[in-house]
Amino acid sequence: MKGLALVALSLLGTVAAAQERADTLRASVVSSVSGSLLTPQRITTERLGTVTGVSEAIRRFTGVQVRDYGGVGGLKTVNVRSLGSEHTAVFVDGVQISHAQNMQVDLGRLSLEGLSSISLFSGQKTSPLQSAKEYSSASALYLESASPVFSGSRTDNLKASLGAGSFMTIAPGLSWEHLFKSGTSFRISGDAVSSKGEYRFHVRDYRQFPDGTVAGYDTTMTRTNCDLASIRAEALLFSPRSGDASWTLRAYFYGSGRGLPGPVYKKAGEYPLSLDRQTDRDAFIQGRYYRSLGDIWSVAGRAKLSFNHLEYTDFPEFLPEGSPARYNYRDHSAYLSASAMARISGAFSLNIAQDVQYDYLDADLRDFAFPGRFSSWSSLSARAGAGSVEASATLLYLGIWDTFLTARSRSGAYRDALMPSLVVRWEAAEHLSFNGLAKRSYRMPTFNDLYYTTVGTKTLDPEDALQLGLGVEWDLVHSGSSDMDVKVDVYRNRLKNKIIAVPTSNQFRWSMYNLGIVEILGVDLSADYSIKISGGECGAIVKYTFQQAKDRSDRDALTWGGQIPYIPVNSGSVNAFGVFSGWRADVTLFATGERFTTSANLPAYRLSPWTTLDAALSKNLSLRGKDLTLKLCLNNLLNERYEIVDNYPMPGFNCLLSAMVSWR
Amino acid sequence: MKKHALLVFSVAVLALAAGCQKDETTSRDADLAGVNVAVGEKKGAFSKLFVLNEGNFQKNNSTLDFLRFSDGNYVSDAFGSMNPAVVQGLGDTGNDLALNNGKLWLVMNGSGYVHVLDAKDETLIASVAVPDPRFIAFDNSHAYVSSYAGAIYGGEEKKGKVYRIDLNTYKVDGEVEVGCQPEGVTVSGGKLYVANSGGYNYVHENTVSVIDLSSFKVTATVSVASNLHFMASDGQEAVYVSSYGESSWSQDSAGNWIQSMSEPMGLYKISGISSTQIKDVHVSCMTTSADGYIYAIGNAGELTGGYSITLYKVAVKDGSVASKALSGTDASKVGNPYGILVNPSNGDIYIADADYTGPGKVWCFTKDLKEKWSAVAGMLPAHMALY
Repeated sequence: MKGLALVALSLLGTVAAAQERADTLRASVVSSVSGSLLTPQRITTERLGTVTGVSEAIRRFTGVQVRDYGGVGGLKTVNVRSLGSEHTAVFVDGVQISHAQNMQVDLGRLSLEGLSSISLFSGQKTSPLQSAKEYSSASALYLESASPVFSGSRTDNLKASLGAGSFMTIAPGLSWEHLFKSGTSFRISGDAVSSKGEYRFHVRDYRQFPDGTVAGYDTTMTRTNCDLASIRAEALLFSPRSGDASWTLRAYFYGSGRGLPGPVYKKAGEYPLSLDRQTDRDAFIQGRYYRSLGDIWSVAGRAKLSFNHLEYTDFPEFLPEGSPARYNYRDHSAYLSASAMARISGAFSLNIAQDVQYDYLDADLRDFAFPGRFSSWSSLSARAGAGSVEASATLLYLGIWDTFLTARSRSGAYRDALMPSLVVRWEAAEHLSFNGLAKRSYRMPTFNDLYYTTVGTKTLDPEDALQLGLGVEWDLVHSGSSDMDVKVDVYRNRLKNKIIAVPTSNQFRWSMYNLGIVEILGVDLSADYSIKISGGECGAIVKYTFQQAKDRSDRDALTWGGQIPYIPVNSGSVNAFGVFSGWRADVTLFATGERFTTSANLPAYRLSPWTTLDAALSKNLSLRGKDLTLKLCLNNLLNERYEIVDNYPMPGFNCLLSAMVSWR
Repeated sequence: MKKHALLVFSVAVLALAAGCQKDETTSRDADLAGVNVAVGEKKGAFSKLFVLNEGNFQKNNSTLDFLRFSDGNYVSDAFGSMNPAVVQGLGDTGNDLALNNGKLWLVMNGSGYVHVLDAKDETLIASVAVPDPRFIAFDNSHAYVSSYAGAIYGGEEKKGKVYRIDLNTYKVDGEVEVGCQPEGVTVSGGKLYVANSGGYNYVHENTVSVIDLSSFKVTATVSVASNLHFMASDGQEAVYVSSYGESSWSQDSAGNWIQSMSEPMGLYKISGISSTQIKDVHVSCMTTSADGYIYAIGNAGELTGGYSITLYKVAVKDGSVASKALSGTDASKVGNPYGILVNPSNGDIYIADADYTGPGKVWCFTKDLKEKWSAVAGMLPAHMALY
């Protein structure tokens, strides 16, 4: 433990007590989410057990909108503080999942298996030895793997699980952990999901007429072509728990085939509306390494090689016997990062990092540009404390050099951005702290924005996001038996040069332009109460998010001043839980206010508010050296009929029953 | 939120529209509230201007609006209000609208339906399933609908079709294969003319298929110009067809996509089996009017990469062209001209203006391009008709 842990803990100085909650160093030797000045929102192991997926966990955070196209295979992305999903980077064990093609990470593909925590940093994460890339996005989501824990003299842990539930879903999983004599350990795990995915939904529209009559229709249909078959296999190698260095190495494969049900719209004849399919094969190898070099210096390195293949098959809509069109995209990426930290004194430290990455996209589209991108991130971050105030200032330089095929030869383009940020934290009292954030970050245009045949615009500027925020954390009740924390954040964001598609002078050709401006005023509120009672614990968590995200793109347009699409002004959740003698029960109510599908906030483009109630019940049993966990997740208990994305209906009530046996 | 009982299939709570109790000379849609755009044409030749909003691709938000001339009110989503029980409303991507004998025909490309409405009150009479329909034309006994017939972009090459619908039974009673991705259709002298675009092909088509209506067979194929689109009849012998021209994509030194027009957008007159070009007319949308003119809007500067949106007025009798740039007139307020219609009784010009991030607008200008009124329409207003 002493290497990194010592460095990190000594850095925390006077704020150590407050940081303790956000510090997972106790749980795992290597962690990329410890010791940040701005504390993240976090869900850890026991709570992760009460959800069925990563996206369900994330929607419990404040300031977050999860865009969900519905169903087991439906795309799920996260939008933090209304800046757009491309402004949120997703890191797995400190290394980003990046897609140069569209910068979209499908949360539905990420597995909860083997995770110790999910953390969301809104604004700036400032942890010791962080890579340069970690400073570069407006917000960052971190998924951290649990290190294997071997009880007593055991050297092997074996775990098998099986889940089954709605949509004809079956999900088996296996995991094996082994401890070598050297202290090195590994985990090999795999899981698979097979689901027919079909569910019934309502199509309905009632309208009220001036004379008071109400008329309309309400009809049920079945969502089809939404099957999913996926397999995930991975192997992780963990360094021994002692020594000055710690590292992990991971090899990962994910393969899936799924139907793309498409939006629901009126169509003659029978469903399905779409027969389109998508096949994915994602593989990567990644590693990270931390080492302490004495009292002052410590270093870290990260590396990743990844390959993604996406095949999209487009079936003729009205002639099922006709030949479909097929498109293949192959995304190659290599990433390398080195960082060093100098703890110059107890109150002052410097963090420098240099990251490089190369991406190349291959596709069999006509006139494809075959873009390649070399990116370089250089960061310098200083952290200083004086009394009860601590501050961190960072300067990040990002340069990207693209090459792409034009008519005859390869051309190039260089883009760069300087991203400054400042984070201040003031421990006003033992249980009360304030923080402030100012950050400017840029989202580089994606390969799709720039190079999509005839649509892409090669002269795009990066999207420009400015974030200003103030937060307060108050540990209101902190007796031994009960605990209550309140957290409030107020922020003002401005997004400029937002990349949007608009038609050119030839209205049949669309093109990408830096035209959008969005002004965001947000408030995130969170209160967390728990009390220990004889034999257990219970508590409640209340979250509320206010988002005023106004379109300021075009003063003469109907969209001027309107709330941008899909962002509710009000949203929130209430969670209550109880833990007693091996039982755990969780009930969560989510509510989202009205939204609009365009910034012209007219009634015709309004999406109804929705409320869903989820519940989870689990029981741990010990049976002759085996641990058995039974879990029942009940989603959308009220059978609410709702849409998060227009014309993509969400499923009604659904459930998943799972059993997990572990031998340890 | 009100919870409604699960109804098995499209059971509706039917509105007892107040109009039922009115005398028969009043249209049942007279009570529909609208936004007053103060047009003030109480005694004009027409009672309504219908506007079909295409809606966004696969968003099922195509709507039918109308302007009521008697009180100057612009009524949005009249179809939805008059037919509230029709499941999923009009449907997806309205691509054409035409009046025939008191009936309003709506061609729903995304939904694969042709809806027949009573033009008097927008009530639905029939919905005819036609795969991938595009445009519609009529003779005395039938409607003819061009269709992509299931072709997909990037897929194998597929010929399109024309489907024939009986005007009495509203049933498809014939189909005939034409060129690839047929668009505009028009009837003239017992023949149906079909503009083949070949829009999904690497090389566009350049022909008009001529179908003899008595045998319903293709009897001639006329070579015209590349990527044909709108079709119109002069009411005499000749028909007119517009071409989106031929462009090639190239990239400049910065790598930006440049569309160079090797063949400009144009207007062609077909007589018999020969075609002649009407000089210097660039058509991105067009209409024929009973006043003896074809009106079109297009970018006069397209060949040189310029941007000069121009209104063209082509005299059917001699092919003479009068053109006027929109800039410098009230019509310069139009952002994206997406459809045009002319009122033959007073010369007013209606322009549908598509906004791609929000709802569009409908503008009314005098023949001298002075603004009379404008109204907020639905998503991508494009097709209009006067009733």
